[in-house]
Amino acid sequence: MRSERWKYILSLTVSIALGLLIGALIMAATGHDPLDGYSALLRGAFGSKRSWGNTLYKTFQLCITGLATAVASIAGIFNVGGEGQMYLGAIASSYLGARLAGLSPWIALPVCFLAAILSGALYAWIPAVLKVKLKINEVITTILMNSIAIYLCSYLANGPLKTTERGINSGTDAIGKALRFNRLIPGSNLSETVFYIAAISLLVWYLMSRTTTGYRMRLTGQNERFSRFIGLRADLLGIGGMLISGAMCGALGMFECFALQSRFKTDFSSEFYFDGMLVAMIMRYKPLGIILMSFFFGALKMGATTMQSSTKISSELILIIQSVIIFLMAAEEGFLRRVQEHRVRRQTVQKEG
Amino acid sequence: MPEPIVRFFHTSMQFPGVLANDDVSLDIYPGEVFALVGENGAGKSTLMNILYGLNKPTGGTVTVKGQPIRSFSPSEAIRRGIGMVHQHFMLVPSFTVAQNIVLGDEPRRGIFYDKARANQIVEELVAEFGLKVNAHDRVQDISVGLQQRVEILKTLRRGADILILDEPTAVLTPQETDELFEVIRRIVSEKSMTVIIITHKLYEVMAISDRVGVMRQGKLVGVCNTKDVNERILSSMMVGKDVLLDALERIDDHDSTIAIQVEDLHVSDNRGLPAVRGISLQVERGEVLGIAGIEGNGQSELIEAITGLRRRDSGRVLIQGTDTAGMNPGQIRALGLAHVPEDRLSTGVSAQADITDNLVVGKESRKPFSSLGLHLHKKAMKAYAREVFERYDIRAAGIDTAVGSLSGGNMQKVVVAREFSFDTPVLIISQPTRGVDIGAMDFIHQQIMAKRNASCAILLVSADLDELYRLSDRLVTIYEGRLTGEFRPDKIGKQEISHYMTGGGREEERHAQ
Repeated sequence: MRSERWKYILSLTVSIALGLLIGALIMAATGHDPLDGYSALLRGAFGSKRSWGNTLYKTFQLCITGLATAVASIAGIFNVGGEGQMYLGAIASSYLGARLAGLSPWIALPVCFLAAILSGALYAWIPAVLKVKLKINEVITTILMNSIAIYLCSYLANGPLKTTERGINSGTDAIGKALRFNRLIPGSNLSETVFYIAAISLLVWYLMSRTTTGYRMRLTGQNERFSRFIGLRADLLGIGGMLISGAMCGALGMFECFALQSRFKTDFSSEFYFDGMLVAMIMRYKPLGIILMSFFFGALKMGATTMQSSTKISSELILIIQSVIIFLMAAEEGFLRRVQEHRVRRQTVQKEG
Repeated sequence: MPEPIVRFFHTSMQFPGVLANDDVSLDIYPGEVFALVGENGAGKSTLMNILYGLNKPTGGTVTVKGQPIRSFSPSEAIRRGIGMVHQHFMLVPSFTVAQNIVLGDEPRRGIFYDKARANQIVEELVAEFGLKVNAHDRVQDISVGLQQRVEILKTLRRGADILILDEPTAVLTPQETDELFEVIRRIVSEKSMTVIIITHKLYEVMAISDRVGVMRQGKLVGVCNTKDVNERILSSMMVGKDVLLDALERIDDHDSTIAIQVEDLHVSDNRGLPAVRGISLQVERGEVLGIAGIEGNGQSELIEAITGLRRRDSGRVLIQGTDTAGMNPGQIRALGLAHVPEDRLSTGVSAQADITDNLVVGKESRKPFSSLGLHLHKKAMKAYAREVFERYDIRAAGIDTAVGSLSGGNMQKVVVAREFSFDTPVLIISQPTRGVDIGAMDFIHQQIMAKRNASCAILLVSADLDELYRLSDRLVTIYEGRLTGEFRPDKIGKQEISHYMTGGGREEERHAQ
């Protein structure tokens, strides 16, 4: 198992290096200097306090969405519906954040938070029950439910819950000033929410890796029949994983609106959940790996903007690099086996010779 | 001697950490039935996987029909006329028998799958080879024995003339085994096929093979004409020591408390048809009740209903005096029941998880594995797993090996070790030694007998009559979901009891007519 882990880290490093190399080749082929491109990328990600802030902001966002994907997958349900769960968490908490503006933050914030995680969890509960009780494929239901949630929120923010403030298109009333999260680095998106995300991530990592509940969820996700056979409540464990996943997404929805938007806006997310889902899949739902990989992808994502503006290299290049890494990681298993066989064969030949 | 049809020449297979085949040179001749025997992990399956192109050997060569194999892949093997039926079947459960048989080379009408033609192909195959199957049945609904026939037909359809059977009888009843042997004899004599059969059961080697090769620890230790050897010689070649099974010690002081009570139980199978039709039985503490029957007569459904894995239509099951109506498997286990399931790979383990996880599960909320039933102590889990690993002599690289990569016998040891360590007064055991070598079989039998002598009530289902005779205090026969007789193993012969397993009295009526 330990050597497995090293092999994995090795192949990940190689994949990343190859991804960056191919990125460089494409830059060169399109008439740009790769060194310029990558230094602009690095500058964009780490060149100033502000860019550090944005990179970390993206890192934490990938981290919580990646872990949300992982928790559900480990328990045997593939949650593609995080985006919808995030929208519902965002609108529920933002609505309360506006209505409860007069209350002490010590009361109002926990209430908003509870609303966020409950709406996220509840919305994840529906496909989970459909999957566990009726064996309805969760990938289909969760994808479809994303659209339902996003359009529902859009209706609410343009209709019954639309703010009367002027100059705001499709948004709810402003969240009470005292309830909003402060930015840690002015001009960047990094806010106090990172502490909460860190705490949630730590808690979830502990739950999945170090508790009996996480252990049972993992076995259930691996073999549902075995889980039932050994006397576990496979149905409840699967649903539990989805509830945690949905709650995390709901919480992120609240953090985004309360820190950056000051209200619920229909365009607050640019498919944040799917970025995290990708990270989780590359890291095979290993919590620690997800946390580390989030930083790398966060830096790529944030650096790309600067790269585009200062060197005219399209930020789409980042997509290519990401895709190459994903592709190589998917091919890694078969590739490594070949290398291994080759090595063994050579050793055998040497021994015989 | 004719030219060999298959020739292994100094063939070696090195896996990371394991030398699975060590310099094997072996010739197999056309038209013979060649048996390959050896303990679990001796390298039999590996050698045949090489022939079928699943493994690429790390040393030596393999020649088929005079042509050396250069690219090892199943498609290449199939092209050369090699077919293989694996221990774990490779069928699509939701497809019909016909769909599975033609899969990969489907008859078409235009761009569409030609269902009528596929069914016709299957019927022709059935007529030609005498392996009876129903083309329209879904594979998930048919018995393991029938699934095996589907596998064999699939390889025959592809024109195989060298057929490799990996532990084919492990899943079969005595009758089905006889039928299979009949088929093997027919395809060898009439279709001049070559059959290589991997097995643990020496009497089958004697019954079916022309020649036999014995493997031990990756090496081929001997090849003999079957008529020149006997079971005792073969078994000592296999293990290097003499292990013909001795009688087990029985201590009889059981307190005759009824621990398992089944009353007029009715259960349906996956298709909703009645599988168990009114079974009543009782098992006392300190006795082994064996259920003898041909596979697919309701044994699986009976066991699943008792352990809470399957819904009961009617009837009662009492464990230690408590009615288990409406209970889930966990609640029934909590009454003091442990269960060794018939299908270890899909039910008995999590194949992806490591040995440690598979041994500890079920006890994770107890001390010393966790505090407050929540925080896991990984060190304690590993220490425990290491101890069991040694005590049960599980052969693997270590306790963090994924259980799915173990051989059948070692996987079964993991299941038995876990279930027996619950120390429950009631044990439900299904096919405890299916596909397990003699050494492991004897070990598992001793464990079962030790549990019996320690006053456990044991319900044992097995397709292996020898096993039932060796372990049971009482035997009941099951046929079409009903119990057809109760016997003491020392009072009835195997010949006579198999009579009751096939419907008993009814058979006589038919003869009388």
